[in-house]
Amino acid sequence: MQQGIKKTLICTLLLLFLACTPGITAAVAAENSENGALAGTQAGTQAGTQTEGLQSKGEISENILAYMQAVYLGMDLPHPDEATLSKAASTYLGQLEQTKGTVLKIATPNVVKSASLIGDYSLGIFAHLSNPPLMKMDETGKLVGQLVDRYEVSENNTRWTFYLKEGLYWSDGKKVSPKDAEFTICYYGEKTPSARWINDTLESSAVSEADNSVTFKFNKPYTRINLEFATYNILPSHVWEKIENPQEYVNEGPYVGCGPYFLKQIDLTAGKLVFERNPYWKGQAPAFESVEIHFYSNIDVATLALENGDADTYYKYASSYPYPNIEQLKKTGKFDFLEKTNVGLIFLGLNLKEAPLSDRAFREALSYAIDYEELAALEALGYGEVPNRGFVPPSMEYFKETEKLEYNPALAKELLQKAGYEDRDKNGILENKAGEDIRLTLLVRQDYARTAELLSEYIEGIGLGIDVKNVDRDTWFTLKDDYQYDLTVTRSTPWGMLMHASWGSGYFDSRRSGQGVLHNLDDPAFLQLCDELLATTDPAELESSAHELQTYYAENLPAIPLYWNRVVTPFNREFEGWYADPLYGIYNQDTFVKVRKSTA
Amino acid sequence: MHSAVKKTLRYLSSFALIVTLNFALPRFMPGDPVKNLIGEDVYVSEAVMEEIRTELGLNRPLIEQFSAYLQGLLRFDLGYSYHLHSPVSEVLQARIGWTLLLVGVSVVLGAILGILLGAYAGWKPETKLNRGIYCGFIAISCTPPYFLALLFLGIFAFKLGLFPFKGFYDTPTIGSVAYHLFLPVSVLALFSASRNFLVMRGSVIQEKEQLYALYARAKGLYDTSILFRHVVKNASLPIITLLALDFGFLFSGALFIEIVFSLNGMGTLIYDAIIGKDYPLLQGAFLVIALSVLLANIFADLLYAAVDPRVRRPA
Repeated sequence: MQQGIKKTLICTLLLLFLACTPGITAAVAAENSENGALAGTQAGTQAGTQTEGLQSKGEISENILAYMQAVYLGMDLPHPDEATLSKAASTYLGQLEQTKGTVLKIATPNVVKSASLIGDYSLGIFAHLSNPPLMKMDETGKLVGQLVDRYEVSENNTRWTFYLKEGLYWSDGKKVSPKDAEFTICYYGEKTPSARWINDTLESSAVSEADNSVTFKFNKPYTRINLEFATYNILPSHVWEKIENPQEYVNEGPYVGCGPYFLKQIDLTAGKLVFERNPYWKGQAPAFESVEIHFYSNIDVATLALENGDADTYYKYASSYPYPNIEQLKKTGKFDFLEKTNVGLIFLGLNLKEAPLSDRAFREALSYAIDYEELAALEALGYGEVPNRGFVPPSMEYFKETEKLEYNPALAKELLQKAGYEDRDKNGILENKAGEDIRLTLLVRQDYARTAELLSEYIEGIGLGIDVKNVDRDTWFTLKDDYQYDLTVTRSTPWGMLMHASWGSGYFDSRRSGQGVLHNLDDPAFLQLCDELLATTDPAELESSAHELQTYYAENLPAIPLYWNRVVTPFNREFEGWYADPLYGIYNQDTFVKVRKSTA
Repeated sequence: MHSAVKKTLRYLSSFALIVTLNFALPRFMPGDPVKNLIGEDVYVSEAVMEEIRTELGLNRPLIEQFSAYLQGLLRFDLGYSYHLHSPVSEVLQARIGWTLLLVGVSVVLGAILGILLGAYAGWKPETKLNRGIYCGFIAISCTPPYFLALLFLGIFAFKLGLFPFKGFYDTPTIGSVAYHLFLPVSVLALFSASRNFLVMRGSVIQEKEQLYALYARAKGLYDTSILFRHVVKNASLPIITLLALDFGFLFSGALFIEIVFSLNGMGTLIYDAIIGKDYPLLQGAFLVIALSVLLANIFADLLYAAVDPRVRRPA
């Protein structure tokens, strides 16, 4: 009798839990009826292995169903014992109650300008939370599956197969299928200019429901697909197939998503995005009911809002929290800081097409003219360091230690003299080999005006004339593309460092074009290295070629890195579990499921 | 020719010039709209760039583009924004309402405050209070708007925590909108008031020395009566011109205020369109601003005639 009451009580608790998750029940039931034995086996396997660690709503739901089917229908299904299950359900319900109304707020200067999920650049980044890409980068910079368990690539690098994880659901209750992944990739290729390469090179694609996989076959070897697929947000085909022109599709939400949260609302007038928990998410349950992204048109105001406690953290793609504001924020005592070496860097671009920068000896001498320590101290305020000649920062995969760049103006002068650059007319400016004074044009955008001032002093210090040309962004693009400069200060973003053959090669390869790239290096040795990198997916070969490329940078100095810096992200110390990857910083799925109220 | 016809012809030729300049000016700017659309880190082939250029009609000769622009205007079609992925008319519609609310309220408040205080300060400029107000408005008019906005935000939102940092609202309710707009409207109204105050004060100082003011005093009228029934009427003529000019400002928004308070208004819209070389959006926004200034000037002409009988009288 007592046993009966106990069972009834437990079932009441479990039913209460299921009542909180009606959709899950329906989805799992539908899944069971669709896949029959397969679903049963999954539930059984999970029940057998996770009796202790039931955390997510999905896991608990499945096990409750298995338990009830076993108890009431007499089905022979493995399930956790009553105590474990009721404890897990009550813990979950308790957590749900605790997190009710909790909001994680992020302040960002990356303003969303249009409610177009595909057309707006910033919205595309923020939508990684609701529509995660197939792949992601872990904190070491290694590419790992996000929506996929694993992937395979054929020997000739033309056929890529991605195996989707089980238990992924869209926020409208439908299961994420390989068809969604196939649809998304083809859809981007067909509809968006930036992904037109997919359309041009994808020969065929196929899905397999049996092993939950999607295969893409390209008409030429493609070795960076795993990286490319870390950027395309996966879309529900049943929603988007009806939308003819996705870039022009403007909708303030909600958008169906399959991440831990879905994008509920885009309110450009209030300046915020609201993400809400995906009711069908079956992974680790996130600790917040919603996530809000608040845009600030002005970085200073964003920092004030953070100091005031209006936001829990700060995010700007490829950038750090402003260094001058860190001390002020520390004084509030409310924030801790996550520091990661930036994959991107600030560097001095050189016009390798024209003398004197086409002369390797001149570049070598120039590299000794720059006071890297002073630059790092003044520009990065203690969050920077002197870079290596190998250009690539240590946070990148297959980093190779090369010699540190050194400030030695005496050596710079000596090297210039040895290379034939002398001040024969004694006017204080060295002459080139034709006997003309060397006056270098330093092309800079407003963002780097102070760096340019410092560089001018260094360069004049070794007897070279310099004209600083301050221009707006568009003029910079035009002059840079026409090679109307000798030197230019610019930066690389994390994605920029990874694009093309990776390790920053995309900025220099003369066969490329694009707004931010210099396309100034046509040395066959460099181009061959790029091609080798582009031709392999073998980790050992990649490592070897990446090392060779860094050695090439160190020996030939096609660009001079000015400083490596750290990306500093402040976060509310009431929460713990923050996680940053080299590509998107703290804005990744792991952060949003791991961050919880601090226990300390 | 009748003066009304002359005026109409003048306004029509101004409109034709405006339309032409609207088309030409954005195209004089350096930069390529297609490259801006693609972004910095994205690689696309020249063929794809050309395809986008064709799609946007940017590969056509300028005369053809101009003709298409005029044809669009005749159909009330302002084109399609490259970056905001919406028809320009819809984008402008969404922003103009909020900008009108922000700048319109500020301009009206600024006009009332500036005219009243300016008139009083001009009437009795020697009092300590009026000297103080005068110094205060001089200081405000000399302060860069960006700095004043940050100062207000720093004091009232950050230090005192009385007002929010950004946006037109948190939830779309009247209370929330009023709460969010209080600071930006205050800053803008103070700027507008400072200009109106200085003009009005100078104008009243001049007018009060006129014979009609002396006559009114001789008749035994009270000071306030002379000031507000006679002097203000004549002294407010330059203010009408100033307000007509402010009407253009009403639509172009207040860029710096919008940036500091993260407001999605016309100012940031135009700024982003310039940065992104969004030609249709620039054309549409400039057209709306130019038309509003033109209308305001027509309105000012009519108001002048109503306020000043000398304007009505034939020459």
